[in-house]
Amino acid sequence: MSAGPGLESLVDQTISVITNDGRNIVGILKGFDQATNIILDESHERVYSTKEGVQQLVLGLYIIRGDNISVVGELDEELDSSLDLSKLRAHPLKPVIH
Amino acid sequence: MLPLSLLKTAQGHPMLVELKNGETYNGHLVNCDTWMNIHLREVICTSKDGDRFWRMPECYIRGNTIKYLRVPDEVIDKVQEESKSRTDRKPPGVGRGRGRGGSQDGPGGRPAKGIGRGFDEGGARGQGGSRGGRGGLGGSRGAGRGRG
Amino acid sequence: MSGRKETVLDLAKFVDKGVQVKLTGGRQVTGTLKGYDQLLNLVLDEAVEFIRDADDPLKTTDQTRRLGLIVCRGTAVMLVSPTDGTDEIANPFLQPEGA
Repeated sequence: MSAGPGLESLVDQTISVITNDGRNIVGILKGFDQATNIILDESHERVYSTKEGVQQLVLGLYIIRGDNISVVGELDEELDSSLDLSKLRAHPLKPVIH
Repeated sequence: MLPLSLLKTAQGHPMLVELKNGETYNGHLVNCDTWMNIHLREVICTSKDGDRFWRMPECYIRGNTIKYLRVPDEVIDKVQEESKSRTDRKPPGVGRGRGRGGSQDGPGGRPAKGIGRGFDEGGARGQGGSRGGRGGLGGSRGAGRGRG
Repeated sequence: MSGRKETVLDLAKFVDKGVQVKLTGGRQVTGTLKGYDQLLNLVLDEAVEFIRDADDPLKTTDQTRRLGLIVCRGTAVMLVSPTDGTDEIANPFLQPEGA
């Protein structure tokens, strides 16, 4: 693939994406292109807050434009399932300033 | 699977598009292109804060203003069917690559016309006011390019 | 921008009709579409710009200013829609999606 070896190895795996507006979206990588546009299946957003536990919003099938992506990372499902998100507190991320 | 193939497959389906400015558009995808420009029909526009709504019969959205698109889950199964029969769609990638290469050729190709270019630039500089630099700059550039 | 059919939307059907145009940076104008090209440069006649909220430039108000005959540069055009049939409505969703 022309986008390099990075994302090809993550296809059909669960990944975590941080977008430029500070959202964290988790889903299964189904595809990508040379502009880092990505297809996420069965995705959900994790909303962080210091007041309450992590909220998960079901999003479904998403195409995220590469322009809007800050970070793509592999999600360690074993580690992830051992987390109790309802007890996790975190500051929401600030959006990227261009 | 390419994101744009999925988008193409989603033609005729309802979808949600969020723009970089935070506005969202719900509508049926009529058409899209390799730039992700999209044409929606029967659209509901929601303001960034989600407090105002507009109905519009159709709209055209420039691809580079899109943040993300939310498409119905079943669309992804339809792409897989298609990509098997069509043996993958390469055209978007190939098209872009050539396009960019071509535009880079433009400036790169120019130096061959060393003399003409030098003359043009001389004229332009002259307008800028620096008469002394005119001949020298134009001349030396022209010569340099001629050799290259 | 060659070869491939560039225009997703055929603007021909909007000529001499009212269109609403949103531009990058947040400006919003309406006018009668008099012409266009493949780069999406638009000529609008009797164009009217919606003045934006001084406190929040992303919000438009009902205040307008008349611009007359204008050219919208294609690279700045974010969105084009017909004014005919475009209306502000009450919340059509039980819970606003993606807000």
